[in-house]
Amino acid sequence: MTCSDVRRVLPGIVDGEAGADFQAHLKDCPACSELVGDLRLIASEAGKLAEADEPPARVWVGIANQLRAEGIIRESNADPARPVLVPAPARRWKAWWLAPVAAAILAAGSYQLAHYKQSAPAPQEARQTATQPPAPTQQAVESKVESAIESKKDAAQMAGKASSPVNPTARVAENHNPPVRAMAKKSEPAEDEDTVAATGQNLQAETSLPPSAPASADDEQFLSEVSQRAPGMRLTFENQLRAVNAEIRETQEYIKRHPGDVDARQHLMEAYQQKAMLYQLALDRVQ
Amino acid sequence: MESIPRSKAMTAVLAACLVSVAVAETKKEYRYSVGANPVVSVETQYGGISVKPGDDNEVWVVATRQSDKTEVDDQQIGDRIEIVSHLFEGADQQSGRIDYEVRVPSNATLSLRSSTGPLSVERLHGDLSVEGTDAAVDIRDVSNGHVHVNTMRGPVTLTNIRNGHVEIASITGNIAMKSVTGPLVKANSGAGKISYDGDFGTGGEYKFTTHSGNIVAIVPAGTSADFSAHSMLGKVQHDFPLQPRHSRETFQPGSAFFGTVGKADSAVVLRSFSGRIRLKQH
Repeated sequence: MTCSDVRRVLPGIVDGEAGADFQAHLKDCPACSELVGDLRLIASEAGKLAEADEPPARVWVGIANQLRAEGIIRESNADPARPVLVPAPARRWKAWWLAPVAAAILAAGSYQLAHYKQSAPAPQEARQTATQPPAPTQQAVESKVESAIESKKDAAQMAGKASSPVNPTARVAENHNPPVRAMAKKSEPAEDEDTVAATGQNLQAETSLPPSAPASADDEQFLSEVSQRAPGMRLTFENQLRAVNAEIRETQEYIKRHPGDVDARQHLMEAYQQKAMLYQLALDRVQ
Repeated sequence: MESIPRSKAMTAVLAACLVSVAVAETKKEYRYSVGANPVVSVETQYGGISVKPGDDNEVWVVATRQSDKTEVDDQQIGDRIEIVSHLFEGADQQSGRIDYEVRVPSNATLSLRSSTGPLSVERLHGDLSVEGTDAAVDIRDVSNGHVHVNTMRGPVTLTNIRNGHVEIASITGNIAMKSVTGPLVKANSGAGKISYDGDFGTGGEYKFTTHSGNIVAIVPAGTSADFSAHSMLGKVQHDFPLQPRHSRETFQPGSAFFGTVGKADSAVVLRSFSGRIRLKQH
């Protein structure tokens, strides 16, 4: 089984349907093993959240009746009382919860499988202090691929210059919006920044480039589309994508150290929603 | 009196002609008759959109183009009006700019999109959907409608918004709210700052979340709210006493506070991953 095969069967592993080949691959592939561990963690935690909000049984019965009426599901020959496409209510609710999470994890997992170069980090101490810096091995990986991303960016910019007129205003706008600040180096703002200006003047968030990380295949394709259709916007969207991916990565690392933190899981979901919003903004603007 | 030398006069006339050609700014007006609940959508890649209330049965639009590399595509289907800027080959942010000045019935449903902006809306009562990439968004004196704003890094300013569902999201833009109240007010920014100045109304739900941006809420005396604040990596602080409220979860000291003021009419949830949260009083 290859890493591509793993990606294909990922949705099935939540229900424990992984075969011997799959297990054997995980033993030999740290990247796939880590990805599967993340997915199982999300699945188990999502299940805890779902139990508090599970709708009453009559809701599922009503949905099943509607699906039967529309001919979407049919009774199975093996078990006439059990419709083919309708799983058990408890597991169905978990599956519904997992759909958006799995999609986002798959996107993150794709980039890990494509670019992860080093072995999995050593098991972390329980209850590490949250302010500790990231593991050195990840920084080494990020520094190696940062040069690759920069070379891709330069190539894209060259392609953009060749295919469209120069856009000096966009470049000026980039200069007025410095890149995203590294998350671990947050400084205390000045006191007067806390006041709300009645006139509505509103400074842009100071930003500096976040720690770079390998982009997923989906992200690369997204940026490629932006480059082709609106080359002047490529750098803007790439910077924002880096910021959002850094948020996702930071939150994932925190959840690994504090798996029981409900607020952290909520922050992770919001980070994924931000990424989805970024994709949508690009689709709306890139015409 | 000496007459102006003919050569100088000719030069002045020629210069005026060249200037007028170079500017090539053209304005065009559009008027649409509409019924009781019009839906107006304005979309431009480059340029600002300003919307104010106008006559009850008419939508009035003035589009100002900066060059002939753009055109305005408009259509009306019943009470639905769509206006879209169309860019021709070679148009850039300067030459492709079209600014819109719009007047709509006060209960119109609006959808505005611009990459550069600015986007401004005032004194309306209908639902608003505003989306911008770098556009600065300014919405004021709006009531009884849903207000949805999405920006990538454009700052968002809301002033005097009443009795509506407000949902604002920005990836790195700042969000500033002054006198914003309603049954539901949600603001989310990744790296941007969220600031709120107001009393949180009566009976509403307010949720402000950031990843790394700071959250600041400034309330007057007499506010009635239940506050719940937690920052996982940042500090939280309240500058005035709160009636303590029990929380089921335990947090590290200085990372969370839970308490009420007044009768706790509104629920206020402040959450940040690594930003600072501060609750102040006038």
